[in-house]
Amino acid sequence: MTQHISEVVFWCVAAALLIVAVLLLRQRQITTGLRKHNAALETSLRARDEEARHLVEVRLPAAEDSGHQSLPAPGLLDEQLTGTAYAWHLQQATEQFAGAVEKAQTRADQAAKAALKASMRALQGLAHEQQLSISRMQDRHDNPDVLRDLLEIDHANSQFGRRAQAIAVLCGSWPGRQRAASPLLDVVRGATSRIRDYRRVRVHAQVDIAVASRAVEPVVLAVAELLDNAARHSQPNTAVEVNLQPAHNGACVVIDDAGVGMDGQEIERATRLLSGRQSVDVSRLGDPPQFGFAAIGILAARYGFNVSVDTRSPYGGVRAVLFLPSVLLTHVTEDGPSTVAAATPPAVPSITTAAGAAPTHTRTPTQAGPQAAAARPAAPRTPTDHEDGEPVIHGSTAGGLPKRRRRQPAPGRATTAATPAAPLPPAEQAPARTAEETARRMGAFARGTRSGRATNPNDEEGNSPA
Amino acid sequence: MTPPRRERGLVRPYVVTGGRAYPTRNTFDLVTLVIAQHDRPLSELNPEQRRLVELCRGGALSVAEVAGHLELAVSVTKVLLGDLVDSGHIVTRAPIPKAQLPESQLLQEVLDGLRASL
Repeated sequence: MTQHISEVVFWCVAAALLIVAVLLLRQRQITTGLRKHNAALETSLRARDEEARHLVEVRLPAAEDSGHQSLPAPGLLDEQLTGTAYAWHLQQATEQFAGAVEKAQTRADQAAKAALKASMRALQGLAHEQQLSISRMQDRHDNPDVLRDLLEIDHANSQFGRRAQAIAVLCGSWPGRQRAASPLLDVVRGATSRIRDYRRVRVHAQVDIAVASRAVEPVVLAVAELLDNAARHSQPNTAVEVNLQPAHNGACVVIDDAGVGMDGQEIERATRLLSGRQSVDVSRLGDPPQFGFAAIGILAARYGFNVSVDTRSPYGGVRAVLFLPSVLLTHVTEDGPSTVAAATPPAVPSITTAAGAAPTHTRTPTQAGPQAAAARPAAPRTPTDHEDGEPVIHGSTAGGLPKRRRRQPAPGRATTAATPAAPLPPAEQAPARTAEETARRMGAFARGTRSGRATNPNDEEGNSPA
Repeated sequence: MTPPRRERGLVRPYVVTGGRAYPTRNTFDLVTLVIAQHDRPLSELNPEQRRLVELCRGGALSVAEVAGHLELAVSVTKVLLGDLVDSGHIVTRAPIPKAQLPESQLLQEVLDGLRASL
C-alpha cells in the first residue's frame, strides 16, 4: 500500500515537475520575445528621437534658409522610417514650417517695399519741387556767381532725385514723370544730368531718333544707372563713351567704360537682375544695397527694352548696351514745325512777327535782317489756325501769356457771323469719330487704368510690350 | 506723331555748359545783338549751341531773345555765347543806340522857320 502511495506521489511530482519545466520554458520564450520586442521598440524610439532632433537641427533651418533658392531639402536621417506615418507627419510639419517662413518673408518684403515706396515717393516729390525752384532761380538771377552755386545745388538735387526714383521703381512704383517725346540724344544727356561724374561722359551721336513719350523717363533712369555704374567703376581720369546707333528694328545706346570690368559671377548676377523676370527682395541687395541693375531690370521688363552688360568694352571695361525696340521710338525731324518759336510764345516779349510765325530754319537772311529784329514788341500772338474765327482772349496768365476760353457756339454769334447758315450744333463741329475709333479709345483707356492699378511688374496684364 | 517739345527739366543746365557758370568773356548784355557766321561747321557743337547758331542765322537777335527761344536761363545762354564767340560761330554787336535827340536849339529854329513861313 505504501509502495502504491509512494508511486502515486512520484508520478504526481514527476507530472508537476514536467509542468513546471514546460511553464518555465514557455516563460523563458515569452521573456525573450518581450525583451526583443522591447529592444526593437527602444531602437525605434531612439531613431524617432534622433529624427526629431534632425528635424529641429537640420531640416527646419534648411527650410528657413532656402527661402527663394530651390535647394533640395534634406530628407530623413533613418531610411527605415520612410513610408511610416511618423515620417509623413514630420514631412507635413516641415512643409507647414516652410510655408509659414515663406509667408512671413513675403509679408516682410511687402511691408518693407510699401514703406520704402511711400517714403521715396515723398522724397521724389520734394526733389521735383526743389528742381522747379532751382530752375526758377536760374531764370531769375543773371549773375555767374549765383549760377555757379545753383548749378551745384541742381546737380546734387538731380542725383538725389534719381536715387529716390530708382528705389521707388524697385519697390513697384512707376517712374513718376510724364514727359513729351524727346530726341534720344536729349534722353541720354538727361541721364547724364543725373550722375555725379557727368563731365566724363562723352556722347557721340548723329541720329534723329526720338523716344516715345511714355518711355522717356524709364529710359533716362535706366541709362543714368548704367552711366553711374560705368563712371563709378572706372578711373576718374577716363572718359565714359556713349554711342547712339540706329539698329534694324530699334536703336541702341552703347556705353563703354575703361574701368575694371566684371568677373563671370558678377556678370551672371547682373544678367539675372537685368532680365527682370526674377522678383527682387529688397533685403537681399547687399550692403550697401545695389539698386541699379535691379531697377533697370524691372523697368526693362515693364517697358520692353533690353539691357545687356555681358560684353567686354574695347577700352577694357564693361560695354553696356541698351536696346530700344522701335515700338518705343518715334521719329523727329528737325524741320518739322519749329518746337521753339511757333509752339510757345517765348517769355521774352520782343520777338518779331516774322520770327514768331515762321519756323526758324526757313528764315532767310534777307527776310529778317537786323532791322526786322530790332526791338519791336509784337502783339501777343496766339497760335491758332482755325478758319472760322479769331482767337478770343480773356485776360492773361501770371506769366503774361494770353488765355483763351474754350469756344462755344454763343447765341449772339450767329447774327454777327458772316455765315448765313445757322450755327452747327457742337456735336457736328467736332470731327465725327467712327465706331472703331471710339472702341479703340475706350479700350486704350481701360488698359491704361488697369495697368495703372497693377503696379506690380510681375503682373502679366497691363503694360506688357507688344 | 507730334513733334517733340523740348523738355525743359530733362537736360540740366550744368550739362549744357559743362559745369561752367562764367562766360569766357564778360561782354554780354541782355540787349547785345548776336549774329551767326555762316561759314562755320556745326558738327562740333553741342545741341544747344547748334540750335543757337541756327536760330541766329536768320538775323540778329538779342541775348534775351536767344535765351527765350532756347528756353534757357540768360546766364546759361551767356556761357554758350561766350564759347561760340571764341570759336567764331557768332559775332556780337552792341545794341543799336537810341537815336540822338535833336538839340533843342535846332528844334527852336525849325519852329521859328515854320511860324515865319505861315
